[in-house]
Amino acid sequence: MKDLKKLKDEQIVELVRTKDKELYIEIVLRYQTKLLRYALYLIQDKTKAADAIQESFIKAFINLNSFDLKMKFSSWIYRIVHNQVMNIFNKNKKELPLLDTVDFDSGKNLELDLLNKETHEKVNKCVDQMPIMYSEPLLLYYFEEKSYEEISDILRLPVGTVGTRINRAKVIMKKICQSTK
Amino acid sequence: MSKYQIDIPKNVMSKIEAEQIRMRPKWYFLLGTLAIFIALIGLVILSIFLISLITFSLRSHGPMGIVRYQQLISSFPWWAPIIVVIGLTMGIALLKKYDFSYKKNFLFIILVFIAAVLLAGVLVDILGFDMFWIKRGPMRRFYQQYDGNKQEWNNIIKNNGKGKRNFQ
Repeated sequence: MKDLKKLKDEQIVELVRTKDKELYIEIVLRYQTKLLRYALYLIQDKTKAADAIQESFIKAFINLNSFDLKMKFSSWIYRIVHNQVMNIFNKNKKELPLLDTVDFDSGKNLELDLLNKETHEKVNKCVDQMPIMYSEPLLLYYFEEKSYEEISDILRLPVGTVGTRINRAKVIMKKICQSTK
Repeated sequence: MSKYQIDIPKNVMSKIEAEQIRMRPKWYFLLGTLAIFIALIGLVILSIFLISLITFSLRSHGPMGIVRYQQLISSFPWWAPIIVVIGLTMGIALLKKYDFSYKKNFLFIILVFIAAVLLAGVLVDILGFDMFWIKRGPMRRFYQQYDGNKQEWNNIIKNNGKGKRNFQ
C-alpha cells in the first residue's frame, strides 16, 4: 500500500484496469475532497454535490477503459464531474444569469485577493452570483490550481477562450464583490 | 471518511465489489471509434464521387439535361448516404456519451471534413479522374450508364433533326 501512494494516477488506473479493481479506492480517496470542493462551488448544495461526485466516480469506473493513459487523469475526472454538474443544472433547469450590464476592464488587483485564503468565503458568495461560464474557469484556475491547458481540456474550450473568460470573470467578480460590500 | 452524509468511497467500492457496476470493455469504445471511422471514409468516398459527378455533369451539360438528371438520381446508390448517416450518428452518440476525455469539436470536424471533400470533389473533376472512373474503378458502371445515356440522347436529338432515329 505504501508503494501505491507513490504511484501516479495514471499508473493506478492501469493497475485497476488490468490487475485489481479494488485499487480504485485510491483514486476515490485522492480526488474526493478536491472534486467535492469543485462541485460545491458550482452547485452550492452539499448533498447534491456529494451525489454528483459519487455518480462521477461510478461513471469514471464504468468508462475507465476509455481513458487514454497518455493524458492527464485529473483533467478526465474533472471533465466527468463538469458533465455531471451540467446534467444537474439541466435537470433542475437552473437559469444561469448572463450579466449583460457588466463592463469589462482590468481586474489585476483582484488576483492577489483571490490567492488569499481569508477571502475565500467572501469570494465564494461572489462566485455564486456569476454566470457559470465565467465562474467555472475562475474556480478551476484559482481554487483548483489548474493550468489553462488543463482547464481547456476539462471545459473543452480553446486555451485562448479560457484566458479571456478568466480575465472577464475577474472583472465581473470585482464588480459583484464591490457592490455587495 | 467524507465530511458529508454520503460516504463516497464506501458506496462506490461496495458497488464495485458487489459487481453492481462493471467496467465497459475496451471493444465497446473501439466500436464507437470504428463506427465513426467507417462512416467518415464512406462520407469521403461518397461525397467526392458526388461532387465530381455533379461538376462532370455540369461540364458536359447538353440538351435533355433534366431527363439526364432524373436518370442520375434514379440510379444513385442511396444506401451509401444512409449508411454514412447511421454510422456517424451512432459513432458520435457513443463517443459523446462515453468518451468524456478530451476536446473533440464534432461540429468543427464535420464542417472541415465537408469542406475538404467539396474541394477534393472539384479537384477530381478538374484533374480528370472522373474520365478515369468511366473506364475503371468501383463507380465505372454508374458513370458509363450516365455517359452512355448522354450519348444516346445526343444521338436521338441529332437524328430527330434529320428525321431519323438510330439507336446504337
